[in-house]
Amino acid sequence: MKKIIIYIVLITGLFSACVENPNVTEDVYLSNPHAVSSWLNGLKRQLAKTSNTVTINVAITSDNYFNNYSQYSKVFDVLQIDYFDVDVNAIQADVQALRELATYGIETVYPADENATEEDLSFIYFCLGYSNILGGELFTGLPASNLGEVLSSAQTLEVALEALDQAIAFTDDQQMIAVCQLLKARAYYNLGDANNAYTEATEALAVPELLYQIAYDGVNSLSNEMQNATYDALPNRLAPLPRLDFLDPKYYSTGTPSTDQKPVTLVKAEEAYLILAEIALAQNDIATAKSNLIGLLSLINIRPKVLVDDSGETRNGGNRTDYPLTAVKVRFDANSDFKSGLVLDRQQGSITVSTVSGTHVTAADIDNAQTIDDVLYHVYLMRQEVFMSEGRRLTDLGIKYPISQIEQDNNSNVSDEYIEAQIPSFVADKNLDDFSTDADGNITITVDMNKIIVENKNDVAIVPFF
Amino acid sequence: MKKHLPLIMLLFTLLVTANYSYANALTIAYEQKKLKSLIEELQLQFEEMEFVYNPNSFEGLLVNDFIIQRSSSLKANLDNLEKVAPISYLVDGHTVALKRVDMPVKVQEYQIKGIVSDEQQIPIPGATIVIQGTNRGTSTDMEGHFSITSNTFPTTIEISYLGYNTLTRTFTETPLEVQSFIMTTSMEALNEVVVTGQGADVRKKRLPTQVTTIKGEDLEKISSQRIDQQLSAQLPNAQINLTGGQAGATSIIRARGVNSAFLNSTPIIYLDGVRLDNLNTRATLGGSSQGSSMSAIADIPMDNIEKIEYINGGAATTLYGSDAANGVIQIFTKKGGKMGTHVSVMAESGIETPTADFLYFDRSKDLLFRNGLYQKYNLNLNGRSSTDFGYNFSASFMNSSGVQIHDQNENMKADFSTGFKAKIADNFDYESSFIYVHNQYKRNRNGNQGGYTGLWFAEDGASKITGPGFNNRLDELSEEEFEEMKAFVDNAERLQDNQIIVNRFTTSQSFKYKPIESLMLKFTGGLDYRAQEQTVVQTNEYLTATRGQEITDQGSIQNIQRNYLGITLEFTAQHTYNTGDFSFISTVGGQLFRNKDHQILYSGTNIRDGALTISDAAVKDSDEFLSEVLNYGIYAQENIGYKDKLFLDLGIRGDRNPAFGDNIGTQFYPKAGASYMMSQESWFNTNLISSLRFRGSFGIAGNLPPAYANEKTIVFDGYLGNQAAAFGQPGNENLKPEKTHTIEGGVDIAFLRNRVNLSAGYYRSLTKDALFYIPSSPSSGYTVSQLQNIGEIENYGLEFSVQVTPIQTDNISLSFNASVNTLHNEVLDAGGAPAFNLNGFSARTLQTVVQEGYPIGFIRGNYGTFDENGVLEETIPQSYLGTTIPDLFGNIGMNFSYKDFNLFANGSYQSGGYGANWDAQFRYYYGAAEGNIPQGEIDANGRANWLNFTNRFVEKTDFLKIRTIGASYTFRPGNSKAFDYIILGITAVNPFNFTASSFDPEATISGAAQGQGGASTGGISYATYSAPRQFLTSLKINF
Repeated sequence: MKKIIIYIVLITGLFSACVENPNVTEDVYLSNPHAVSSWLNGLKRQLAKTSNTVTINVAITSDNYFNNYSQYSKVFDVLQIDYFDVDVNAIQADVQALRELATYGIETVYPADENATEEDLSFIYFCLGYSNILGGELFTGLPASNLGEVLSSAQTLEVALEALDQAIAFTDDQQMIAVCQLLKARAYYNLGDANNAYTEATEALAVPELLYQIAYDGVNSLSNEMQNATYDALPNRLAPLPRLDFLDPKYYSTGTPSTDQKPVTLVKAEEAYLILAEIALAQNDIATAKSNLIGLLSLINIRPKVLVDDSGETRNGGNRTDYPLTAVKVRFDANSDFKSGLVLDRQQGSITVSTVSGTHVTAADIDNAQTIDDVLYHVYLMRQEVFMSEGRRLTDLGIKYPISQIEQDNNSNVSDEYIEAQIPSFVADKNLDDFSTDADGNITITVDMNKIIVENKNDVAIVPFF
Repeated sequence: MKKHLPLIMLLFTLLVTANYSYANALTIAYEQKKLKSLIEELQLQFEEMEFVYNPNSFEGLLVNDFIIQRSSSLKANLDNLEKVAPISYLVDGHTVALKRVDMPVKVQEYQIKGIVSDEQQIPIPGATIVIQGTNRGTSTDMEGHFSITSNTFPTTIEISYLGYNTLTRTFTETPLEVQSFIMTTSMEALNEVVVTGQGADVRKKRLPTQVTTIKGEDLEKISSQRIDQQLSAQLPNAQINLTGGQAGATSIIRARGVNSAFLNSTPIIYLDGVRLDNLNTRATLGGSSQGSSMSAIADIPMDNIEKIEYINGGAATTLYGSDAANGVIQIFTKKGGKMGTHVSVMAESGIETPTADFLYFDRSKDLLFRNGLYQKYNLNLNGRSSTDFGYNFSASFMNSSGVQIHDQNENMKADFSTGFKAKIADNFDYESSFIYVHNQYKRNRNGNQGGYTGLWFAEDGASKITGPGFNNRLDELSEEEFEEMKAFVDNAERLQDNQIIVNRFTTSQSFKYKPIESLMLKFTGGLDYRAQEQTVVQTNEYLTATRGQEITDQGSIQNIQRNYLGITLEFTAQHTYNTGDFSFISTVGGQLFRNKDHQILYSGTNIRDGALTISDAAVKDSDEFLSEVLNYGIYAQENIGYKDKLFLDLGIRGDRNPAFGDNIGTQFYPKAGASYMMSQESWFNTNLISSLRFRGSFGIAGNLPPAYANEKTIVFDGYLGNQAAAFGQPGNENLKPEKTHTIEGGVDIAFLRNRVNLSAGYYRSLTKDALFYIPSSPSSGYTVSQLQNIGEIENYGLEFSVQVTPIQTDNISLSFNASVNTLHNEVLDAGGAPAFNLNGFSARTLQTVVQEGYPIGFIRGNYGTFDENGVLEETIPQSYLGTTIPDLFGNIGMNFSYKDFNLFANGSYQSGGYGANWDAQFRYYYGAAEGNIPQGEIDANGRANWLNFTNRFVEKTDFLKIRTIGASYTFRPGNSKAFDYIILGITAVNPFNFTASSFDPEATISGAAQGQGGASTGGISYATYSAPRQFLTSLKINF
């Protein structure tokens, strides 16, 4: 009997001592070498993840895409943007996660890793800057830190500018400096600061084909969601506004989708031309604006184009069944002329996909534009087409998301003024994704939102330089 | 109350005194008496007669076992006296002449032979038989037989056995045939010995809390594929709802409400002292609702059960410490049988039919279901040797073809179990059990897993958007159209290949050592190992067939393994000591359990049709999850008895666990309670009330936070071949178990010689430091919710159970039982945290939510109001649409037996809960039905507002479900050498449903998708199969 008791005690002791934690705790992480390199990868992964959330939701909220399926937001298409909406929370969470990861990287990980370089620090500041640009563009306001005070959209952009200056200061990489400058130009554009926007955009063009993309990794559960929504998933989920049909998809795969995930562009030189053109128009300089747009067209023309078999695209998401599947004509609203070539018949062989930028606007169209409004219309049409599937259209429409309910419930700094979405009245009353089909199958888009933008260019919510 | 008190006291006094005088009149003579004094007593009894005799001749003579029967005539009494004493008599008018007989009388003995068995005609060995009013007694042998002699008539024999109602029968003369005695179980057998929650053996009456005991025989009556289904109408104060009809579906088990918002309400389950895997950890990999809604309870061994003990949370479970706020179910396996070797075989078979009651379209049944076959076989060997070695071996095989087409819900289960017990020395006992279960079942797609999912396709209108697209109003289709749809569905179901295989091995070893008579040392150790393999094969052919376009490179195989190993060790020392009026039972012990949950996912995509392993896949992927829980605690308990009527129970447990935060040390769980057997008082003597007990207690029990939940972690994902770091969980240095403080009181009464048993009680449970998964604020950068001890949850209610036996004769017995429980559940305090959801979809659609001031898991969604034209006027988002927790629930049952025939039925009911009919909402959205929405709205807005009036799709979930109706006949061949007896049975499982909702109020698998591990209250009906009906016949032969 004594033996049994001894065994019991021994076994008990043995088991009590041997539960091991399979997870990496913060202390263990920081005390192991080369923490920063994994932190940088984490930031890149978050950049990709944040871009997914932004591109999908912006696509649905804007006139670019209609959610024709049961997944993703079922209400953003009708501009129902509630602060308790799970997608509003998800967008905020992903934008702010990038900021918090960057802040933690700067304050904690970087100082703990003796192998870290200034280039590393520069990249972390770039992420901090980019997250605040997204925050400033997409939200009416956001907490500046974990449960921190709320900064307005403009204040958030100012924070972005500071971070980007740091990013530039810590790097010698000319490409990254140009990326940061173009992002600064974007921030100044949003702030309506034409002078600084002009300076930064011009300097960024020192790298003429500037392109900064973030890669995806389908094998590690980080697929390009926009690629999934517009190409890989069957039935197809997002349906483009028929006049943008030729720009869908931007991302595609061959073979097993998880191994072929296309990158998403965060920054590209095209934006500099668009900013410069709008600045010129604001200064009544139509000629410069036109020449900027011609420069833009040249750049677009040298961007890669590939032939893709998209015969699987049948627009069969289920909610709306009248999306055109053959090469019909389309007009941008009831007062416009029908145009060909914008809606593709995907069963007649491979289609041309513009993997970086595409537009149907020609040099002739630009030449023919006479008034400031005409050219401005083409600026915004090209913004829409060039930035297709890159999560940018919302800002053109002046729409901003509110701070989420979960944030407000946790954070006493969030006052009620920030829990309402910003939707300009001239947008709120439109059916952005709607169209009709005549007897010949030709399409009439209900409303041309670029016309609406130009008509309301003096509104504070849109067209910053007017 | 003041008015009533004197009345009650008066009534009580009357009862007591009336009974007292009556009892005195009955008893005249006992045991050995002088013949002379007996004659004197007879004289007193029959005053009108004159007794003539010579007192000297009877001097010194003694008489055994003679009772003067007051009700009998003088002649009958004298006849009896003649049989036992050397006396003869003569009666002439009013004179009785007595004289001594010189010839010594051979005292004649008259033998009564009988067989004692229970309601199932199973013999009861060891039952005690005494002749009332004498010392004469015997007990039944292993076959339940006895014979006893009486030398006077009429005579009354009394048969008693622990846990059964005492039986009496009077004989006026020697019966010629063997008598049959059927004993009925007593609901509140307060002398029964229980162990669960006590560390070691204690009688029920000593405990201030209730212990429900269910005997193996009662379980065997109920045909069932799994233990929770079998128990569903058996636990009077607990509710067990299966959340789906597919094999392996999770169940919601709750007794005293929902005391946690982070953990499911399932009790901890022990088998012979070994903690079993019972849904404690979530299926973390795979993400499919097929995986997460699987239950580890579905394959708990259920053969060979001797009995089950169940205790509610509160003082009853305090000795289980941090782990038992939801109560404990303990299964005891059989470890021996009757003397010798005994064999029984059982075969059960029958048909299964789909429960189509809740289908919206009549044709859905045609489309997805068919009748199935059920069969089960069992072989049992048991026995005992004279040297106190007992054994039990059981093997069974069950196969259910299921009611879904193409065998998509086939379920096969094989159990093997052995149990042994041996007396190694006079003071040393060893018990052992080994159990192996193999369970294998198919599971087709359920809920809405995207693409084609059977019920979602047929019932939710999704046929409109699936495959080639169909008219989704099934009942309006022409025959031709329907045939086309049927061909599509048939193909889609045929091509699904999802399978789950479970292999489970459980063993318990225990030693009992008594170094001295008053001290018992007990050691129990054992393990539960459960390996679950889930395989989902999606072929290109399936994808092509269901997505309406040719797919050649997306075939995939996903395998998820979940391996669970739980080890339990427990050591208990129990000391008993009696002095004067006091008795002390002191218990100390220590318990340790360690659970390891290892989940592995490996999958292949772009795989050719025909391959069944991922080795042929173009892309292979894998993932892993590991969780290890270690909990160890020590406990001490003192149970003090005074005069076997007043008991005081005190105890405490202290626990440590690595999942507690750094700032948290040992956690303590005290309890205190008292039990008062008023009916044991000498002044309490009434025929009306056979036993009366009052009980009250206070106790604390806890729920453990999951492993590592306290730590601040960094997580890594792969990114282009590199480590990508990110925030894991924020960590919490103050994390500790949530503690449920329960105060309860009750009374247990048995009336009319146990014909009516009533138990009534009230409890209030307050979960302090309740663990809430606080949704991370987006500004924190964390996506994982951190557990915080910030909530407070209240549950209170009344618990009644009653058992009535209106008829109890030699041949006929009829009894009814019912339970009624009320429940109030409310989150008193959310600690300032935002509301969070348990289940459901997004915050703008439909969720079951935890929020301060509301019951846990209430339905939250958009509340729409309509104008006079029936057009939606206003929508209030995030409105309270009803609680999912019923405020009234219970079970009912009846049992009737006539000689060897037995008929029984049982059922469950609930009232006061609500459920959201998400199926109907989708039907509306896809235009398959109008639901409860005014035509004006449809005309004005089409289906666009479908999410804005969720209140119109919320229904009451009151139900009464008859779970089982069964009948059996026991055939005893008398002197057949071939077998002892045969039991023939027929059973209907789930025969009748009466529900307030148009959907199955139990089948809320989507609402309970997180039932494995997480808290769930159900409440959302979403493409979920109902449990099928079964009509079975059975044959059991005992050799």
